[in-house]
Order: sequence, then C-alpha cells, then structure tokens
Amino acid sequence: MIFLAFRYLLERKRQTFFTLFGVFLGSMAYVSVSGFFVGFHQYVIQQLVNNSAQIHIQAKQDYLTTHQLDEAFYSKAYHHVFWEDPPSGTIGFLEVQNPQSWYERLKQDPRVEAFSPIMGAPVLFTLAKISVSSSLTGCDPYQQSKVTSIADYMVEGKFTDIGAGGNRVILGDELMKRLGAGVGQTVQVSVGNSESTPFKVVGRYYFGNRAADSIAFGSLQDVQKLNRTPNRVTEIAVRLKDYTQAAAMATAWSEITPERTESWDQQNLNFFYMIRIQNALRFSMIAAILIVAGFGIYNVLNMTVNQKRQDIAILRSMGFDTLEIITLFFSQGLILGSIGAAFGLFFGYLFCRYLKTISFMMKTASNPNGNLVISLDPSLYVQGAVLALLAASLASILPARSAGKLTPIEIIRSGG
Amino acid sequence: MGIKAIGIGKVIGDPPTRVLSDISFEIEDGEFVALTGRSGSGKSTVLYLLSTLDNPTEGRIEISGVDVSAMDPEALHVFRNQQVGFVFQFHYLIAELNTLENVLVPAFKFDEALKRKKYAEYLLEQFGLSDKSHRLPRQLSGGEQQRVAIARALVMEPKYLFADEPTGSLDTINGDIVMKIIADVNRDQKTTVVMVTHDPDFAKQARRQIMLVDGRMVKS
Repeated sequence: MIFLAFRYLLERKRQTFFTLFGVFLGSMAYVSVSGFFVGFHQYVIQQLVNNSAQIHIQAKQDYLTTHQLDEAFYSKAYHHVFWEDPPSGTIGFLEVQNPQSWYERLKQDPRVEAFSPIMGAPVLFTLAKISVSSSLTGCDPYQQSKVTSIADYMVEGKFTDIGAGGNRVILGDELMKRLGAGVGQTVQVSVGNSESTPFKVVGRYYFGNRAADSIAFGSLQDVQKLNRTPNRVTEIAVRLKDYTQAAAMATAWSEITPERTESWDQQNLNFFYMIRIQNALRFSMIAAILIVAGFGIYNVLNMTVNQKRQDIAILRSMGFDTLEIITLFFSQGLILGSIGAAFGLFFGYLFCRYLKTISFMMKTASNPNGNLVISLDPSLYVQGAVLALLAASLASILPARSAGKLTPIEIIRSGG
Repeated sequence: MGIKAIGIGKVIGDPPTRVLSDISFEIEDGEFVALTGRSGSGKSTVLYLLSTLDNPTEGRIEISGVDVSAMDPEALHVFRNQQVGFVFQFHYLIAELNTLENVLVPAFKFDEALKRKKYAEYLLEQFGLSDKSHRLPRQLSGGEQQRVAIARALVMEPKYLFADEPTGSLDTINGDIVMKIIADVNRDQKTTVVMVTHDPDFAKQARRQIMLVDGRMVKS
C-alpha cells in the first residue's frame, strides 16, 4: 500500500509539492522561531543568573498597615483605634540582622558556591562642580567576582583594584560620563549631610544597561565607614552551584529567618511572564501555519479519495480490507508530513546556523562575538517533527476513514 | 461443490425497491455460465451476490459448501484475494501503475508480487501485451486495457472468475479477443467462469445460460 501511496503522490506532482511546501514552511518556521526565542531567553537568563546574585538576602522592610501601631500606642485597652491620619511608611530593619550567623550557614551549605556581603549606600558623587546622586555598593571584590560576572564587564582597570580599603571606586560607564570623570581622577563622595570623602577612580565597567551602569563599587570597609555603619551589611549576595535551585532555597530560608530572601527568578517575575507570552505567541503562530498545511493535506486527500473511488472499488474486490484502504490514504498524509518535516527541520537548522553568525547581541563572556544567540536544542527539532506529523495525521485521518468506509458495491452502483 | 444460490432475493435503496426474487441455481466447479437478460433484469446484482461483493436480502449463497454470509471479514478478504478474479465492463486499472504493476496489484496484499511476477509476465505474453508491460493504462487501447484487467483477475490463479459485461465497452474485434481469452481460461485452467452479458453471441459461448427477467430467473 505504501508503494501505491507513493505513486499517487508522484502522479500529482504540483499538489504534492505545494502540500509538502506547507509542511516544510511550518516545521522550518517552528525550529527557526523557537530557536530564536529560546536562544534569546537563554541569553537573558544567563545575564540574570551571572550578572547579579542568584539569591539576595536583604534586610526586611514592610509597609506599615493602618492598625499595625495600635497596640504600641494604646495597648489593648481599645478594641479599635480610629486614626485621623493613619500611620504610613515602612517598618523593619535597614541592615541584615546578625550577618555572622548567615555567614556560618552559607559556609556550611554544600549547595552554596560563594557569597558576598554588601553594604549599599545612597551617595552623592561630586567632581568639580558636577554632582550626581547615585548608589555606592561596598563589597569584597574577590568574593563579589565569584558571585557575579562583574569582572567580565570591566572596560578599564580590574575589579579587584578596589582592594580591601583605601577609598577606591569603580564607576559604571553611565555614571562616569555624567560626572565627566576618568580613571585615575579623584571624586568626592558624601552620604546625607556628612562631609565628603575623596575616592580615587580605579576602573570603569559597562553592562550596557543604563540603570546598572549608573552606580559605583567600592570596598566593603570603605562604604561601611563612609555610611558610619561599621560591620553592618544591607545584603548578602549568594551564588549557587545549581541556579535552578535558587527559588526553592530562597523560599525555604525566608521561612526561618527575619530577612527577605529572594532568588534571581523571583526578582524577575515580569521577565518570566514575558517568556510565557512569547511562547504562547510562538505556538499560536506555528499552529496557524501547521493548520494551514494540515488543511492542504486534508483537501488533497479528500480530492484523491473522490478521484480514486474506482481504485478503491477494485482494491476492495481484490480482498484489500478497510484497514489497508485507510493505510493507503493515511500513509499519503504521513509521507507528506514526514518529508515536509524532514526538509523543514533540516533547512530550519541551516537557517539557525546562519542566524548564529549575525552579530547583534552584546558581547559577553559566554558570547564573545556578540552574535545572535539561537538555540539548537534537539528537543525543539523533536517538537517540530511531532507537531508536523500530528498535523499531517489529523488532516489525513478523516479522508482515510471515509475511503475505508466505501464498499465496492456502493462505488460500482454509483457508477464509480 | 461449486456455487449454490438458494432462494436469494435483493431489495435496495430508499424507498426499498426489489430487484431480485427467489432465485436458486447451482454452478458446478469448472463450469462456464452466462447470466443473461435485458438491462435492469438484475443479472449484475446476481453476479455481485455470487462473488461476495454484496449480500442477499433473503436466501443464501454457498461457495464450496460454505455459507458466505457466515464467513468472517478476514476470511472473506482472503477468499476474494486468493480464489476470486473480477473483470468489470470498465477496466478499472490504476492510472498510476504500469501494465505489469497493475496485473500484480492483487499480489501486493500478501507481498507475493515477486513470486507472481513470472506468471504475470506469462499472462501478458499470452494476451499479446508483453511489449507493453511498462506502459501506463492511458498509453493502451481499450482492448489492451481490458486484456490487462483480465490478466490482473487471473494472476492469483483464482478458482472463480466473475465477469460483468467484459466486452461491453469494446469493439467487435477486441470483444472477440476478450471472449476467447475467457473461454480459454475456463477450458485450460478449469476456472469456473460466471459472466454477465446481454450479447446473445457471447452468451452462446458459455456452457450454460441463466436468464433473468425483471429480477426473476426464467431459464437455467
């Protein structure tokens, strides 16, 4: 029957070509578009995972609720307090409570690869008459380099040039431009109304993100001293051996400690919503193409069944059963689906390989040429093949079944 | 044992129309029988009932002592493939296959094409078609197409050959050729032949005639 199915297809070259082209286009589009989106998602996830900590342990601050201070002001004497001007603002701590216990916990946890205590402070940078408000992040540069990939983004100097103290800072590219500063110059840094302290600029980094490039890094001790909060930290940045465990670990820690612990993915929920929307769009688009291809197969097979009623009659009279007649027509759909998908996936793969040579993204350590990141994940190709075969099967089953139901006498009586 | 029709009747369509009533006869193995009658007399319907392509509304058909209505579908398919050959008024050749492939179509069912190829070539040679074995049906004349259809009906060496007006679409010369082939098959291979025809000359070539008038048997 497969032999005859092939002959039927070869005899209708034009119809077969256009139907094949539909499946080809659908499966090629699937792997190309999916490769582009999945590659882009992987790129962004790598940026999120590497450029920042995978788990942030921060001092917890919550917004005050209307009756949160009732008891503190009026004890339990009143059941209900009506505030003319309800309390507002935040409640909590500015620093991580008992960071030493955190250090011990993190050192003993085998899932933790590295951690870096951080003191963040809102500061005013001044160079000559130019003042720019920004944020200064104090950290141990060696630990911070293990936790994030900041060292890879250094344009001038090395991240470790911050040292363990000595009032040295590394400025983001944007901040550097706004200040008009350069490496080797000294900028004045002040917190609140305090006297300004001179810091020497020892490096410049460039993430390519304006917000991230508008801050500065200094040593932990220098920032603690500047902020007048010795031995205090506002955050502990953690890197894990397996970043996919971050959310589970952050949730578990948040239940047993007073700090706010958030994973990289919990902090970037919007990005994951965007991925979901993009995936939905991707599947909808491909589904539309495959539905059109499926209708092509359905139409061709339906027409073939009508044109081949005499063949069906003679085959049935020769003892070919219902299943064999169904196979004859169903296999045509599957042949179209298989060949179309095979070509589509192959050319889709070549197209993806070509896309990977186009320089479009930012150069990073994992993407040194800055080329488009396109996923060649085999599972995408398996999905593409399954979708194409599914569309072909669904489109073939109805005409094949209608052919299988025809009896020879029915066809002969109706004049073929 | 042969073929036995026992009180068969047939009602078709909606509203129901009776096309056959109380027909009984017996065809012995190796016989050549012509079913004759005017157009609409029910002769083709009898042929389809005898050949298991259709089921009677009343009565029963026995082939080699077996009630065909009691046969399970799988056995019926094997029976049609191995023991029955059909020749229709129109050749019903598969347009996409060449002459030899068309002859071998019944052998595809049980992957016997290779085994039957030599015999298929022999049949084509016997029917004067050996030089046209790679031509498509559209490249053959009407007579040649019908000869290919007969070769296809014979390739499985069936015990029974059912022919529904096999000369109906042919000119006299080709009609004669086809009739000679059918008569030779009956004589040489002892194949039981049941042929529908309304041509009295062709009917005379059969050993026996069963005549139908308005769905009833009037002569056997």
